[in-house]
Amino acid sequence: MIWQLDLFILGMIVVCALASIMVKDLMSAAIIFGAYSFLMCLLWTEMGSVDVAFTEAPVGAGVGTVFFIAAVFRTSRHVSRRSEGRLGMKFLGLLGAFMTGLLLMTGVHDFPGWADPNSPASQHVSTYYITKTIEDTSVPNIVTSVLADYRGFDTMFETAVIFTAGIAVTLILRRLGGGGGSHSVSGPAYTTTAGYPDTIIRFISRQLVPFMQLYALYVVAHGHHSPGGGFQGGVILGASFILLGISYDLKTTLNRISERANIALGNLGVLIYAGIGVVCLLLGANFLDYSALSKLLPGATEITARSHGMLGIEIGVAIAVMAIMVSIYVNLASHGKHDEGL
Amino acid sequence: MEYLISKFNYWVYVALMMIGLYAMISKNNLVKKVIGMSIFQTAIIVFYVSTGAKKGATIPIIAHGHGEAAEAVIEASQYVNPLPHVLMLTAIVVSVATLGVALAIILGIHRKYGTLEEDEIMEKVRQP
Amino acid sequence: MTGNDQLPALLIAVPLLSAFAVSLAGLMNRQWCYPIAVAALVAPLLASWKLLVHVVGNGAVRYRLGGWAPPFGIEYVVDHLNALVLAVISLVAFVAAIYSRRSVEKELPERIPHFYTLFLLLVTGLLGMTITGDAFNLYVLIEISALSTYALIAVGEDRALVSAFNYVILGTIGACFYLLGVGHLYIMTGSLNMADLVRLLPSLYSSHAIAVAFILILVGVWAKMAFFPFHAWLPNAYTYAPTATGALIAPLMTKVSVYVMIRLMFSVFSADFVFGTFAQQDVIVWMAVIAIVAGSLLALAQTDFKKVLTYLIVAEVGYMVGGVWLANVNGISGAVLHILNDALMTLCLFLAAGIIVYKTGRHDFGSLQGMYRKMPVTMAAFTVGALSMIGVPPTAGFFSKWYLILGAVDAGQWGFVGALLFSSLVNAILFFKMIEVAYYEPMAASHGHGEHHEVHIDEAPMSMLIPLVGVAASLLVAGVLTREIIMKVVRFTVPPGL
Repeated sequence: MIWQLDLFILGMIVVCALASIMVKDLMSAAIIFGAYSFLMCLLWTEMGSVDVAFTEAPVGAGVGTVFFIAAVFRTSRHVSRRSEGRLGMKFLGLLGAFMTGLLLMTGVHDFPGWADPNSPASQHVSTYYITKTIEDTSVPNIVTSVLADYRGFDTMFETAVIFTAGIAVTLILRRLGGGGGSHSVSGPAYTTTAGYPDTIIRFISRQLVPFMQLYALYVVAHGHHSPGGGFQGGVILGASFILLGISYDLKTTLNRISERANIALGNLGVLIYAGIGVVCLLLGANFLDYSALSKLLPGATEITARSHGMLGIEIGVAIAVMAIMVSIYVNLASHGKHDEGL
Repeated sequence: MEYLISKFNYWVYVALMMIGLYAMISKNNLVKKVIGMSIFQTAIIVFYVSTGAKKGATIPIIAHGHGEAAEAVIEASQYVNPLPHVLMLTAIVVSVATLGVALAIILGIHRKYGTLEEDEIMEKVRQP
Repeated sequence: MTGNDQLPALLIAVPLLSAFAVSLAGLMNRQWCYPIAVAALVAPLLASWKLLVHVVGNGAVRYRLGGWAPPFGIEYVVDHLNALVLAVISLVAFVAAIYSRRSVEKELPERIPHFYTLFLLLVTGLLGMTITGDAFNLYVLIEISALSTYALIAVGEDRALVSAFNYVILGTIGACFYLLGVGHLYIMTGSLNMADLVRLLPSLYSSHAIAVAFILILVGVWAKMAFFPFHAWLPNAYTYAPTATGALIAPLMTKVSVYVMIRLMFSVFSADFVFGTFAQQDVIVWMAVIAIVAGSLLALAQTDFKKVLTYLIVAEVGYMVGGVWLANVNGISGAVLHILNDALMTLCLFLAAGIIVYKTGRHDFGSLQGMYRKMPVTMAAFTVGALSMIGVPPTAGFFSKWYLILGAVDAGQWGFVGALLFSSLVNAILFFKMIEVAYYEPMAASHGHGEHHEVHIDEAPMSMLIPLVGVAASLLVAGVLTREIIMKVVRFTVPPGL
């Protein structure tokens, strides 16, 4: 942890944050937001939280930025000129921000110094996790063992949150058939819709996609021993389909995963997760207590059964996240009509 | 000066929160509000991850392998605190989920009212 | 199955799994969604009732998820307070689900599977918020409930999308403030488990960070429960939401947030800190007074009966927040009892209002004309709900108001007493105005040559009417059984030593 680098990245982050809310062009704001997310990833890596960085990269800087761009593309790109005149709200905003800032700074006053190994947060529960993870679960990646086992219940609901978001976006946006007069796209014509195919982009995407998917499968499978896991792998898988959708057209993606398949896979993923929990219940232990799985899996002790249980749920998470990311992208990019995208 | 530097991460998270909150409340354009919301949520992530940092510690993956590494005693101070990372993985996922839903609602509003500026929308809402 | 032990897990697992079942079934045939949803909600109803009985008889129930002991794993704790709230949530969800069929078919015909999926996910989220004993788990469940609510509101009529967007912004601010508060607690103690925190915090009470944590959590929860002045999102969101959504969220969302406030105040921060060290009772009770008065006055100004009901919810939230911060036995008992009573009253009124919207398609006062002749049963139930809101015995609303007034007198908070009486008066004016419009059919509507012709009774469909009648009856039952409820359940929710 090099504090000079830390300071520099933090400074850049504040600059990017300010820039993205101040620029008049929404497409630029979206891209600057992507840069902001990417700087966040660097920050996390520099502070030693590799799993968080690994997740922020595809989720924040990758898929999040694509969602913004899809939304801006489908609506309007420019902020109206006269919009900055609402003094009442500006004052309220400044007041609110200022008071919150003041409140938070009072709190910061009492915090233990940054990176102090004897701070309360670093003792107690986290010491247990670090020292006991191999003994309890035989998984070296502590973040995975806490995420998938000790606090596995949280993760199940987190997957359910993603699923909820996918269904929510479908509920809000999905229009069957041609819904009346859709507003014309006001963004500039991009090369892929101006009549001639963009050979370089298509060729390279086509080459990249299988490697992305292979890498994503590796990330899911190897999450126990290296940074990675279900979420990261799932988002990368989803991103590979989204890449197809951007470089070719939406039909290509929809031919490979249809809307029904997305919903079915999304369900399947979370069902695998909750299902493993229920299987543990049926085998006599508490919900999501993977040690009960040792009765089912040949040759597994209670401890290694936990490792296998974790792999099972990570697979479920990956499937669900992949399906939902693609589903949200398809709905946002096509404004619910599933005809043409970006 | 020492005081400022020892808690620099925390001052930055406060600054980011203020930027995000200001954007959410006072910006007129709905997309800007959503960008503010994302900045607000990532500021909280900066806060949590900062609580987990430890001087001189390595990433939270237990050194393993064959030979010497496999026999070593595991010391808590060697590894960065993993619990905030787990919590923030969840927070990142929740924030992208909220982003998706917020953008879907924005698209719906644009389809209905033709604009994404809050004052114009309020005018159109008032005259049915 | 395996006896009482696994009830807490089943309570959450069944609605969650059934959400997926509905979604998958919906891919094949839309008609299966409604029956699966209703059948699925029977399980939490039974489980929460069994848990309530068990807790009343034997004391708190603890359940370890994943088999890990707290604070290393996540724990579920069911004590008197949550057992009561769980039972309320399950009951309201079940009733709202049965009621929803006709209105969903009319308002959202193509989106039935997604609607019921989100409905079940929302119920799972609310149940989970209530039962969890872990501060971070609570945040995740708040977000599940919130995301499903945003979408369920956004598919309503007219201004629903804009209202949903405002709710997204304010709801996210609320949830994030809560998360930040939990972060402050974590950085100072290193733990996330509620029972652990209450053990570790006392030595830190004088620290600024803990006070800031408390304020952040409080503001976050207030934003989610629409406590004045953070209420701005509620009236539009609840008015323009689809009927079935309104029936589920109006009685529940704010009450569960009040529960969360009580839980964090007493089981994490402890009454000593809240009333002793932090000691802002006077300020907050005055804020509650303003909330009640503002809610009531704004309700008087409305011409749309659904809007009136939503502003009354804002006032009722003021009752509950003020009641808790009165810091005495009567006040807190009144607030907890009010969670039950207000959920039932709001459910009754929203069900009735929903039937009127289903039949007439409008929700302004004009559409109420002549309703007593056309829909006598619906309006009778509406009247019972109205009497409960005003606070007429033996309906349930009277008893919780009674305890709140007693508590306010005990604490010397005369402003609060005044606000409660003022609110009852305003409710009386409002409801009598509505009942008057509904009772007297205006002469201009009759087509005949001056003769008084037959008005057909055009009553609501059975699937909507029976739940309504059931809820109205329960208001009377809950009122009569108040003493039982107080002695067996509510008495134990008040922290000792007050």
